[in-house]
Amino acid sequence: MANSTLLSPSRQQQPAAPAPVPAVKRRLPASRIAATVVVAFLAALWLLPFGWATITALKSETEAAATPITFFPASGFTFEAFAKVLAEGNIPQWTWNSLFTSAAITLVTLVISALAAYALSRIDFKGRKLLMGIIVASLIVPPPVLIIPLFYQMVSFHLIDTYWGIILPQVIAPAMVFVLKKFFDQIPHELEDAARVDGAGRVRIFLQVVLPLSRPILAAVAIFVFIGAWNNFLWPFIVTNDSAMLTLPVGLQTIKSAYGIQYAQNMASALLAALPLILVFLFFQRQIIKGISTTGLAGT
Amino acid sequence: MSTSTISRRNAAPAAAPNGTARAASRRRDTLHGWGFMAPFMAFFVLFLIWPLLHGAYMSLTGKSLTGANDSFLGLANYAEALADADMWHSLGNTLYFTVISTVPLVLVALAMAGLVNMGLPAQWLWRLSFFAPFLLASTVVSLFFTWMFNPQLGLLNELLAMVGIPPVAWLNNPDVAMWSIVIATLWWTVGFNFLLYLAAMQNIPAQHYEAAQLDGAGGWRQFFSITLPQLQPTTIMIVILQVLASLKIFDQVYQMTGGGPGGATRSTVQYIFETGFTGYRLGYSSAISYIFFGLIVLVSIAQFFITRKRSA
Amino acid sequence: MKQQQRLPEAPGRRQFLTGMGALGALLATGSLTACGGAANAAGPEDVRFWHLLSGGDGIKMAAMIDKVNASQRAFRVTPTVLAWGPPYYTKLAMASVGGRPPEVAIMHAARVPGYAPGGLLDPWDLDLLAQHGVREADFAPRIWENSKEGGKVFSIALDSHPFIMMYNTDTAAKAGVLRGDGRLEAISDPATFKAVAAELQKVTGKHGLSYGYLGDGAQMWRMFYTFYKQHGADFELVQGSRAKVDRDVAVDVLEFIAGLLDDTIATRSGDGGTAIAEFAGKASGMFFSGVWELPTMKAAGVPLDAQPIPTLFGTPAAFADSHAFVLPHQLDLNEERRRSVYAFVAEMLKGSLRWAEAGHIPAYQPVVRSAEYQALKPQAHYAGAADIINYDPRAWFTGSGSDFQAYFAENVQNVFLGRIKAKDGWDAFVKRLDTLLSKPQPV
Repeated sequence: MANSTLLSPSRQQQPAAPAPVPAVKRRLPASRIAATVVVAFLAALWLLPFGWATITALKSETEAAATPITFFPASGFTFEAFAKVLAEGNIPQWTWNSLFTSAAITLVTLVISALAAYALSRIDFKGRKLLMGIIVASLIVPPPVLIIPLFYQMVSFHLIDTYWGIILPQVIAPAMVFVLKKFFDQIPHELEDAARVDGAGRVRIFLQVVLPLSRPILAAVAIFVFIGAWNNFLWPFIVTNDSAMLTLPVGLQTIKSAYGIQYAQNMASALLAALPLILVFLFFQRQIIKGISTTGLAGT
Repeated sequence: MSTSTISRRNAAPAAAPNGTARAASRRRDTLHGWGFMAPFMAFFVLFLIWPLLHGAYMSLTGKSLTGANDSFLGLANYAEALADADMWHSLGNTLYFTVISTVPLVLVALAMAGLVNMGLPAQWLWRLSFFAPFLLASTVVSLFFTWMFNPQLGLLNELLAMVGIPPVAWLNNPDVAMWSIVIATLWWTVGFNFLLYLAAMQNIPAQHYEAAQLDGAGGWRQFFSITLPQLQPTTIMIVILQVLASLKIFDQVYQMTGGGPGGATRSTVQYIFETGFTGYRLGYSSAISYIFFGLIVLVSIAQFFITRKRSA
Repeated sequence: MKQQQRLPEAPGRRQFLTGMGALGALLATGSLTACGGAANAAGPEDVRFWHLLSGGDGIKMAAMIDKVNASQRAFRVTPTVLAWGPPYYTKLAMASVGGRPPEVAIMHAARVPGYAPGGLLDPWDLDLLAQHGVREADFAPRIWENSKEGGKVFSIALDSHPFIMMYNTDTAAKAGVLRGDGRLEAISDPATFKAVAAELQKVTGKHGLSYGYLGDGAQMWRMFYTFYKQHGADFELVQGSRAKVDRDVAVDVLEFIAGLLDDTIATRSGDGGTAIAEFAGKASGMFFSGVWELPTMKAAGVPLDAQPIPTLFGTPAAFADSHAFVLPHQLDLNEERRRSVYAFVAEMLKGSLRWAEAGHIPAYQPVVRSAEYQALKPQAHYAGAADIINYDPRAWFTGSGSDFQAYFAENVQNVFLGRIKAKDGWDAFVKRLDTLLSKPQPV
């Protein structure tokens, strides 16, 4: 199932911009102060849900369910919600499921997309235009249309409640093929020609000349595919039922506690689930932001 | 661009420009081409083309989740779907959501980008705050907001109480529920549009602003006369992307309200899911999903013409 | 001239292949652990158990499971709890279709007709059950009858949980409506019932009866169906023909209930939570509710007794459903695990005295007949409801948490609120049912 639904292949690549200059050179201090206040207020508003979830997660269960609501719990902050969730629940298992399937999806998508993109970019073969047309057309297909026949297919293949059931439909990313193709198109031919003169065949050229030069785009595509796969809810929700096979987002939604709604634990689980990709973001901030801003890559 | 790439490439190595060498080279190219495409095409055909066709076929049968009822029904499912009040209701909900969410998702993103683009201190903090939610899974967002929307223990009703406003049944009042989902969606995804706008703003050449300043135009004037017009392509793209994404909504709605109260927030995708998996009617559900597909195609075609007209 | 991008040294081919190899190995190991996993030759059998009980019921269920796990080493039951209602039942169906469902699950007995005919459940082997001490004779006839589909037994009931009446003994005493033995005086017609309610209302000053229904199709249906069945009327749903229902009786019942909601006997538009709070706060004398609210009332310190809902219309009847154990159909049946399930279910039934503490009536008669159960008050006083229970009309779309009860709510809530006439609401509901019945059954 295509994991990039927001990318339009017709979006022109932005010309390399000079170092970003503030749009307006000099502003009156008063309006700058006002603007800073407004943006700070907005940012605070945007951080509020995280903050409130954290405060709740650090309360004891009784405190979290008590009225009136407190911002600083009378009985102090505690990690017991986190401890309970990690000890009794399935979060470690679900995290592993997400990690494994997302990594597999990323790897397979990258490999098959790069191969296809190279062919479309560099090889004039019979049927190329037709295939391009079909792949472009497939961008229009919304994933929800496919869930029913895909479910039926997975049942027939006995892949329900398996890792491969989760992985297989998600490795198809036509948008990523086009992103890679655009990049390959820009690699100068002289490099490949030089390698050919040295006697290298196509495969070697691909592996030893094109791929090494494509590391930035490959990295960007890998990051986005990984994020999309990790956060994907609909398909894993449909294809898995066994509590040991769920991915993290699906597990959080489907499995309830026998004890009823536990607010502090719910927030603790949510924060633990948010953690991995927030870490990814902190490490790969530059690439992610650049990826969205310049090539229009999407994570959804 | 690609054609010139390829014809250049073909021109290079041809040592003997006679027919057979060229033909052999072509055959080898075709072999290589298909070889490189094969892995992708295998998955593509297996898990996209085949289900697409099979789903269309299923929509013509009365297929059930349990495997029963394979009978061929022709277009009966489609006729039933078009007469199905619940289907229209969920479509209406989806369109309603699309409209009321796209507007703030564009305007707020624009405002955020405009503010950040002013070169204020602590840029990284604003970028982080606005964009971080985008990386969360839908479940996490729904958990955060269901908790904040809790009638007795939720933060929002608490804040309202502080200013003397009576509590709101955010997710249980049919008139309010969809707005609550819009609020959650806005928080979650505005960061993406924000980045697009920010990048576009940073690409506006400084000369425009310098010229305007020399002419004596102030900040707001510059914004409306220079920035906004320059952002038109970006705005159009964002609106189109937003509309297409909103039509497919499922996650947050299913997770926060389950389509309720009383079906007030149920989206088309959720209706497809319920008809097929809760109600067992895979065939009928497929028909609804293909009607939905038709709608998406129409919107995409409209998009194509709009962007074409602009660049013409 | 195109600008050459300066890039760091590319990894050599060897490093590339090593990296790929490592990832490949990782994936391979992951795949192996994913594909079913090696069977536990020496360890206890892993029995996965799905249910939809949480809160007070959930805690009791968890305790019962722990007890069974602790008492033997042959198998280990791992429970998974999903959200009550459509999310649970949808996932259970999808899991069965997928071929690797849990080894045992709980379903409401009235929902089984939506699963068994489609092959999603396996029938119980009665001989094997007998070997574990569970026989047909150990169940009330109505419960056993309802567990069958096509002549085979598909569900083994743990309990029946009827809709009953609790009453505040203090308030009743003050109102003078108690018999000599401390139980509520006999009520056998609507007029007497209203009179008793009025007396209770005078004592509390608020309401005589607590009944919450707003936004809750299940609550509306439970009350309605109890009185409907008390008329001795039929309610049959057969696919392909129209609903066989008694319109006059139905309209009568709806009008009767709406008549109770006059803000004197009972509040006009209360929801479940309001009703619970009212009776727990001693602001009413009677409480129509499912048996599962008993622990809440006891915890609130209400001096109460309970009984089946008084027979106002001639035939003793009570709405009920049962939590029942079912065997989801397995693609790859593990015989050992299946046998462990039988042992597990037998143990749970035998230990269901614990479950009775949550208010439910155990289905396993040896427990009901035991001295310990008979000593449980007020459970023992309403245990007779098990003999007069009526399950939802058999159809693939009925049962607890089903669309059926949602349709009822859509049409009947406005009748109770006094916004539309009873016959209009009823006709709309039946029309909905007829539409559903006219389509081919998807199971």
